[in-house]
Amino acid sequence: MARHIAQRLMISLPVLLGVLLIGFLLLQVVPTDPATVVAGPSATRAEVEAIRQQMGLDRPLWVQFAGYLGRVLQLDLGRSMISNRPVADEIALTFWPTVELMLACLIWAVPLGISLGTLAARRRGTTVDRAIMALSVMGVSVPVFWVGLLLIQYVGGAGLLPFQGRNGPIWTADGLLSIILPAVTLGAVFVGPVARMTRTSLLETLGADYVRTARAKGASDWRVTIRHALRNAMIPVVTLVGLQIGFLLGGSIVTETMFAWPGVGRMAVGAITSSDFPLAQGAILILAVGFMVVNLIVDVLYAYLDPRIARS
Amino acid sequence: MTDATLILQSDADQRAIAALRRKNAVWRRILKDPPAAAAAIFLFAIVAAAVLAPWIAPFDPYSNNMRLRLCPIGGARCPDFLLGADNQGRDMLSRVLFGLRATLGMGVTAVVIGGGLGALIGLSAAYYKRLDQPLMRLIDVLLSFPSILFGLAIAAVLGTGLGSLVIALSVAAVPSIARIARGAAQSIMQQEYMEAGRAVGLGDAALIWRYLALNCWPTILIYMTLQLGQAILLGAALSFLGLGAQPPTAELGSMAADGRKFLSIAPHVSTIPCAAIFLVVLAFNVLGDALRDALDPKLRQ
Repeated sequence: MARHIAQRLMISLPVLLGVLLIGFLLLQVVPTDPATVVAGPSATRAEVEAIRQQMGLDRPLWVQFAGYLGRVLQLDLGRSMISNRPVADEIALTFWPTVELMLACLIWAVPLGISLGTLAARRRGTTVDRAIMALSVMGVSVPVFWVGLLLIQYVGGAGLLPFQGRNGPIWTADGLLSIILPAVTLGAVFVGPVARMTRTSLLETLGADYVRTARAKGASDWRVTIRHALRNAMIPVVTLVGLQIGFLLGGSIVTETMFAWPGVGRMAVGAITSSDFPLAQGAILILAVGFMVVNLIVDVLYAYLDPRIARS
Repeated sequence: MTDATLILQSDADQRAIAALRRKNAVWRRILKDPPAAAAAIFLFAIVAAAVLAPWIAPFDPYSNNMRLRLCPIGGARCPDFLLGADNQGRDMLSRVLFGLRATLGMGVTAVVIGGGLGALIGLSAAYYKRLDQPLMRLIDVLLSFPSILFGLAIAAVLGTGLGSLVIALSVAAVPSIARIARGAAQSIMQQEYMEAGRAVGLGDAALIWRYLALNCWPTILIYMTLQLGQAILLGAALSFLGLGAQPPTAELGSMAADGRKFLSIAPHVSTIPCAAIFLVVLAFNVLGDALRDALDPKLRQ
């Protein structure tokens, strides 16, 4: 098990370095010269040069990169060029809303997807199966922003639910109401893939020997499906849901931007379009690291559920 | 030596013909599946419309007329505009045609560049056993990274615009095609003619190009089609966020974003490009699923 985790970390390490390199490069393209800013408008060329030396800006790029790595490890991500507040503080503010939105989406989309997938597998080849699979293909083909626009137009526009911003933490009534539309938007594109994975995985397990045995023992059809087949079919579904977190991340960036949800994704897009390089660097870094951590957790969980994985 | 090369050449031709026949068989199977056939015909029409946009668009997609601003479909103000006008009084139909052109163009370019690179990586990994491990680890790394983050990072470093968008989508297309190409090439590597080719003294380049690539390309091409839907969806999302095509460029994602502000008074301005993206991606996915089923004998039963 420890070896398996170590192996996964080995794969994540180059990704992390790559992401850090992108973050570092972003700070290099900042159009203003930091030394000139620090020195002030009345400084002579010699003074600027002295400050440049003092800040280490005259050193080779790789030395500067090492310095950047050291600062990131101390959670010093620089200051936003627009709000002038530390990037780490900005991230701390936006991190929880993003997690909240993702959880609010998973909590309804995954159970619904699994139920639909199970139903489709049980009624294989019937109209029900075909209808569910057709819906699932539509789900993976629809742009997230269209789902959001339709909900804003018909539900938000009719004044039924709020669609602008986050009106408080999820445990307050206002907060709960304001998360409904973003969570429905994000989940709508997630139900399809989950239903499809469940169906495929369940069809495989329904053909397994132990399922035939259970049937031979006289267990009812639904009991066989749920107690015997679905439990085993869930293992690939769990991993695939984990793998789809990246897909979910893409959707959440769009959803946050549309619904003015104060999350990391919206902050990243805003920072990029307004050329706030330090903030963009921090936001991309935290999105990538968050994604990697989730992946690692899913991976370890999977190996725990199915010990054969860790051994292979 | 000349003789051997001549024989090999005709051998390769024969195999190309056989590959073509296999592909035709797949197409015949697709045509028996009504949704897939409908998707194929629809895509053919859409691609033709996109290619011919400059000649068939009834109006200039960039000429504005503020008097026709937000004119609805069938509105009395704009009887000549079949799909109404947008927030600057531009003909929606012409903009959608040009938008399709830009969106499909960006998707196809990205998949061809990324897929070509991926195919090269996959074939090299299968051919040079020593490269297999490092190359495939690199692919694992790329695959484990969400493609939207490529989009954000590249837009941040290179600035927003169609160019950065195509680069991001290309990078996103590399890993899955590389895997498919490697899988296909590995089964070809087992064939006796690979050994025979080596025995008559063919070089690496000739073996990879004439033997591996020529035998793998139908599979690779089909998976590139499969990736197109995803590339278009991702590209449209990035454009919608303002990180891709910039206004006034007619591109479906940024057109949808443009119409967002007028949702309550003129919903058609954003609904039409959204529906266009949905239908195109849906058609690619339906066709892709059918192609995969047709190619995978396990699923066919």
